[in-house]
Amino acid sequence: MSDGPILQVSNLTTRFNTSRGPLTAVDDVSFNLSRGQALGVVGESGSGKSVTARSIMRLLPKSNVETSGTVMLDGVNLMELSGKELRGIWGPEISMVFQDPLGSLNPVMKIGDQVSEGMRIHQGVKKRDARPIVIELLRSVGIPSPESRIDDYPHQLSGGMRQRVVIAIALACNPNLLIADEPTTALDVTVQAQILDLLQVQQKGALMPMILITHDLGVVAGRTDEVIVMYAGRIMERATTETLFTNMRMPYTEALFESIPKIEYPSHTRLAIIPGRPPDMVDPPRGCKFAARCRYVQPECLESEPELTVGVDDGHLYRCFFPVGTPEGQAALERNIEAGLVSEDGVLVTVAPR
Amino acid sequence: MAGSGSAHLRNEHETLLRVENMVVEFPIGQTGDVVHAVSDVSLDLIEGETLGLVGESGCGKSTTGKAIMQVPRPTSGSVQLDDVELTTLDDDALRETRPTLQMIFQDPISALNPRRSVRDIIAEPLVIRWEEEEGRPATSLWFERFGQQLFTRVASVVVKPMRFVLPLGAIAMVLWIISEAAEERRFEDQLGWTQLPAQIIGFPVLAIGLGVLAVLALLSAIWLLLGIFVPFGVVSKVLGDISRPVGLACALFSAATWVFMVWRTWNSLTGYSAWIVRVFVIGFAVASVVWFVVALTRSSASGATSVALALASAAALQVFYISGLDGVTKLAVLIGAAIVNLIVWRIVKRQLGLRRDELRARSEPKVREMLETVGINPDNALDRKPFEFSGGQAQRLSIARALITDPKVIICDEPVSALDVSVQAQILNLLEDMKERYGLTLVFIAHDLAVVKNVSDRVAVMYLGKLCEVADPDDLYAAPAHPYSQLLLSAIPKPDPTKPAEETPNTGELPSPIDPPSGCRFRTRCPLAQDRCATEEPTMREVAPNRFVACHFPLIGSDDEGSATHAGATAAGAR
Repeated sequence: MSDGPILQVSNLTTRFNTSRGPLTAVDDVSFNLSRGQALGVVGESGSGKSVTARSIMRLLPKSNVETSGTVMLDGVNLMELSGKELRGIWGPEISMVFQDPLGSLNPVMKIGDQVSEGMRIHQGVKKRDARPIVIELLRSVGIPSPESRIDDYPHQLSGGMRQRVVIAIALACNPNLLIADEPTTALDVTVQAQILDLLQVQQKGALMPMILITHDLGVVAGRTDEVIVMYAGRIMERATTETLFTNMRMPYTEALFESIPKIEYPSHTRLAIIPGRPPDMVDPPRGCKFAARCRYVQPECLESEPELTVGVDDGHLYRCFFPVGTPEGQAALERNIEAGLVSEDGVLVTVAPR
Repeated sequence: MAGSGSAHLRNEHETLLRVENMVVEFPIGQTGDVVHAVSDVSLDLIEGETLGLVGESGCGKSTTGKAIMQVPRPTSGSVQLDDVELTTLDDDALRETRPTLQMIFQDPISALNPRRSVRDIIAEPLVIRWEEEEGRPATSLWFERFGQQLFTRVASVVVKPMRFVLPLGAIAMVLWIISEAAEERRFEDQLGWTQLPAQIIGFPVLAIGLGVLAVLALLSAIWLLLGIFVPFGVVSKVLGDISRPVGLACALFSAATWVFMVWRTWNSLTGYSAWIVRVFVIGFAVASVVWFVVALTRSSASGATSVALALASAAALQVFYISGLDGVTKLAVLIGAAIVNLIVWRIVKRQLGLRRDELRARSEPKVREMLETVGINPDNALDRKPFEFSGGQAQRLSIARALITDPKVIICDEPVSALDVSVQAQILNLLEDMKERYGLTLVFIAHDLAVVKNVSDRVAVMYLGKLCEVADPDDLYAAPAHPYSQLLLSAIPKPDPTKPAEETPNTGELPSPIDPPSGCRFRTRCPLAQDRCATEEPTMREVAPNRFVACHFPLIGSDDEGSATHAGATAAGAR
C-alpha cells in the first residue's frame, strides 16, 4: 500500500468535436490512486464522470475526440499505447464494469466462456483447465450452484446475477485497476446492496484499486476511501470520504447532498433544490462553472474561475473562493441574503446572470 | 406477507379512489401459464392524500397503477373513482373519466409526442374535453363515434385485400371495356376469345370490388354531405344524439345498394358462360359478406382510409353511370369522380381542423398558465418540440399536460426515476406545490424508499403482486413491521460514511410471478419464515394503530394469534 500510486492521471482533457464546436467533457482532471484504495467519482449526468473513465480506459472513439494528458498505470502511459498494446492491457491490467449488465454480455455465448475468455487470451489457459477456475470465480461473486450455471446464457439470469457475471469477467485476470461505471444504477435496491458488498469484498481482498462512478452519494459513502465530486468536466472537490461528508467545502457538494431526499427526514420535508441547469460545455461561462446555481455566488465568481486548491484539512482539495463552513463563505452567504439573492432559509432566489 | 385482505381499507364514503381485490394476470402465449402480476390488491385514497406504492421491480406496482387507469383492464376486482365503477365502463364512458384521472409516466421524453409542439401537446386533453362537452361538429361526432368504428373497420379490412383486388379489377375492367367496344363494332366473331376470360376474371372481381367499395362510398357520401351542409353548434349536438341511428340507416342503405349491385351483375349476364360466372359471383358475394361481418367485429384501424374513400366514391359513381356509356366516358367518369372526392375530402378535413384550431386558440391562455405554474416560460416553449427540452423540463411538461383538465387523481409512475438527483428534488417539490394548489390526490409509484417517504401520506409496500404493509410513512420507516419492509430499508445506501454499510443478508432474488410461492409469497426470502408461512396465506390486519401488515410474525405489535410462535420466529431470525 505504501509503494506509491498505482494510477496517476494528470491533466486529462477530453474534447468532443460537435457540430456546434468543441465540447470539453473532461477538463484538466488529475488524481492518483494507490493500491487497495477505492475512489468514488460523483456528479450529475453530463458532469464528465463516465467520459473520464472511458478516457482512462481509452475506450472513446477515435474520430471527433481529442484526448490529452497522461494516464500512468504501473509506470505505463496508457495514452501512448497502440490499439494492439491496449488489448493486452484490458483485462490483466485494467478492467471495467458497466451500468447495463445485459448490454455488456454476449447473448449467444455461455457465461462460463465469457468469464474465461480473458484468461484464455491473456494467460493462455486451456478451456478445460479454465473451467474449475471459472466455477470458483462464479462462486466467489455469489452465484449459487456455479457448476450448473456456468453453461447458462445471459438471458437465463436475472439482472443481479448478470451483474455478478460481469464482475466475474472483470476480475478474471486479476486486474491492477477496476473501474465500475454506475454498476448498480440498473438494479433494485436490495440487489444493489449485494453487488456493492461484493465489489467491496473483492476490492479489499485483492488490494485492488477501484474507481466507483455513481450519481448516488449514498453509494460512495460507506464503500470508498476517497471521493471526487465532478461538475462541468472538472474536479470540484476531492477529499477522503469521511472529510467530504462531515466537512464539505464546495457549495456544489453541499447543494447535491441537500437535494437528496433522506430517509431520516420526516415525510413532506421540503427538499433543497439546485436551481437551473448545468452549463453548456460548448460555450461555458467565464468564471466558476457552478456560479450561476450557487447560493454563495459573489461578483468575482462570475469573473474568474477558482483553482483547485488544498484546503485547511490534509489533502482536501476544492475549487471555490468562498468555501462552505469558512468565514469567507459565511460572509458571502450573508451578503447574498441581505441583497435578496438568497432567501432566509438559504434557497437561491434569483439565478445569477451569466 | 404478501397477503390479501382489506382490513386497511377505510370507510367507503370517505374515500375518493377505491381499489378492491384487484387481480391482473397476463397469459403467456398458448402455454396456459399465467403471470400473476397483481393478486388481490386492495387500496384506497382519501381526497387530498398521497399514497406511496413501493417495491422492487417486478412487484406489480406499475401494473397496479396502470390497471387503475384500466389499461390493461384488471382481470377481476373493482376500481371505484368517486363512486363510479371503472371496470365495467365501456370505452366511451371511460374516456369521459380521463379528465379526472390522469397519469404521469417515468420517461418524460417518450411520453410526449416528438412530432407535435408543446402548445398542441398541453392543449390536447383540454381540447378533447371541450369537444366532448360542447358537442363536436356533426362530422366529427358521427365520424369519430359510430362512423369511425364502422368506417375504419370496413376500410382496414378492405384496403389490404384491395391491394390485390384493385389491380385485378383494373385489368378486368380494361378487358371488359375492350370486349364491349369490340361488340359494338360487331367484331365478336374475331374477338370472341376475349369475352370468356374477361367475364370469368372481370365480373367476379368487379362484383366484389365494386360491392365493398359501394358500401364505403355510401358511408362516405353521407358523411361528406353532413360535413359540408350541416352547420356546427346546436345542430351538431342534436345530430350527435342521433348519430347512431343515422349511421345504422347509412349501413342499411349501403347494404341495399350492394344487393342491388350483385343482382344487376347477375341479370346482365347472358350466354353460355353465364352460369360459370354466376357461381363466382355467389362465391364472392358470400366472401364479401363474411369480410364485412369480420370487419365489424374486429377492432383495428387503418391510416389509408382517405385513399379508400376516394376509390370508393369513384366506384360508386361508376356503378350509377356505367350503363349506357361508352368505354372512354366510363374511364373519364372514374378518374373525375376520384379527383372530385379527394378535393371534397380535403375540404372536410380542413373544416374539422379549423374547429380544432379554434379550440386550441381558446385554450392558449390556460396552456400558458399551466406552463408558468410548472416553471416553464411559455413565450419560448410553446412552439418547441419535446425533444428540445431536458429530462426535468420534459417532466414538467408532462405534469402540465396532466394538470390542464383539473384532474382529481393523478397516478405518478416513477416520475423522478429517470432524472438526476438535483432535478429530482425540483420535480418532487413541484408535485408537492401542485398538490397543495389544486387539491390533488396522488398515487405515487417509485422504487426509491426515501423519495416515497418524502411525498407520501400513506405508504403501501408491495411484493410479488401482493401488499405487505400499509402505514404512515414516518411510522413505517422508523420501525418497519414487515420483514420485507425491513429488508428494503436496510438495503438503502446511506450517505453517511460514519455508519459503515450494514452487511446486507444475501436473501436472493424475486421468485417468478408465473409460479409464486404458496402461502406467504415472501417466505422464500424471509429470515423469519416458519412452516405456517408456506401453508397459510397471511391476511392484512392492524398490529398497531393505523399500521396494517400481512404477516404471521410481524416485527412490531402484540400478536394475539401466536405470540409463542412469534418468539420462536424471532429467535430463528436472530440465528
